[in-house]
Amino acid sequence: MPEAIEIQLKKGALELCVLALLHASDNYAYEIASSLADAIGMGEGTIYPLMRRLQAERLVETYLVESPAGPPRKYYRLTEAGRQSFNSQKAAWTSFSGAVDQIVFGGAKA
Amino acid sequence: MTRQAFLARLREGLRGLPAQSVTDIVADYEAHFNDGEAAGRTEAEVAAALGDPDRLAREIRAESTMARWREERSPGAAAAAVFAVLGLGAIDILILLPVLMGVGAALIGFGVAIIVCFFVGAFMFAGGPFMDPPGGPGVAILGGIGFMAGSASAGAILTIISIGLMNALVWYGRLHYRLLKPALEA
Repeated sequence: MPEAIEIQLKKGALELCVLALLHASDNYAYEIASSLADAIGMGEGTIYPLMRRLQAERLVETYLVESPAGPPRKYYRLTEAGRQSFNSQKAAWTSFSGAVDQIVFGGAKA
Repeated sequence: MTRQAFLARLREGLRGLPAQSVTDIVADYEAHFNDGEAAGRTEAEVAAALGDPDRLAREIRAESTMARWREERSPGAAAAAVFAVLGLGAIDILILLPVLMGVGAALIGFGVAIIVCFFVGAFMFAGGPFMDPPGGPGVAILGGIGFMAGSASAGAILTIISIGLMNALVWYGRLHYRLLKPALEA
C-alpha cells in the first residue's frame, strides 16, 4: 500500500514542520495550516488535532492576540520542551533523510 | 458545504467527548473559517480544504480516547480506545476483528483461571491445618503460599501482556488516519 506509506511519511514529517514553523516565529493555526497544506498536500483540518496533541504534550502553548477584525486570535509558541523536541527531531530527520538519499540516489544527490 | 453545515456535522460527530473539549475544537474550526474568509476564500473552499467533518470527528475522537488510555490504563479507557479504533472503519480492522475477539477471550480466560488458582491457594493455606491433608499441614500451608504467589505473578505477567497488546492496537489504529489526503471529494 504505497498510499499508506506516503501518509505515514507525511504524518511523521508534519509534526517536524509545525515545530520548525513555530521555531521561526509564533503563529496562528490558519497560517500554519495554509502554509503546510500546499507544501505537503494535506487536508487543512489535520492541523488542529495535531496542535491539540502538541499542546497536551506541552511542546507548544497558546496566547491570545487582539485581532483587527473579529475575535482575538489564538497564537501558538514553542515551549522550552518544544524547542528541545524540535532540535532532536531535526537531528533525527537530517541523519535519516541523508541515509535514505544516499541509498536511493547513490550519492548522485550530494 | 457551508460553514454551518460543516460545524454542525463536526459537532454531531464529536458527541460523547467532554463538553469543554467539543467547544474548544469547534471554536478552532470556526476561527479557521473566519481567517479563511478574511483571506478571501469562500465558505465552500474553506470547508473543502478542511476535509470531511465526519471523518475528522472520528479521528479526533479516536485520538482523544487513545490519549485517555495512555493516561488512565483502566479497562474503561481500553474499551473506549478499542471502539474508537474500530470506528475508524478500516476494512483490515474488520478482518482482524475475529482474531481480536479470540485474543480478548483468551486473555479473559487466563485471567479467570489465575483468580481461581489464587483462591485455591488461599483455601489450601487457610484450610490446610484443619483438614489433615496428605503430607501434613506444613506442606499444605507452603503449597498454598506457592499457589498464591504463582498466580499473583502470572496475573502481573498477564496485565503486562494486555497493556502491550492494547498499545499495539492503538499504534495500529493510528495508521488509519486518512485525512492527510487533501479531502477534495468531501
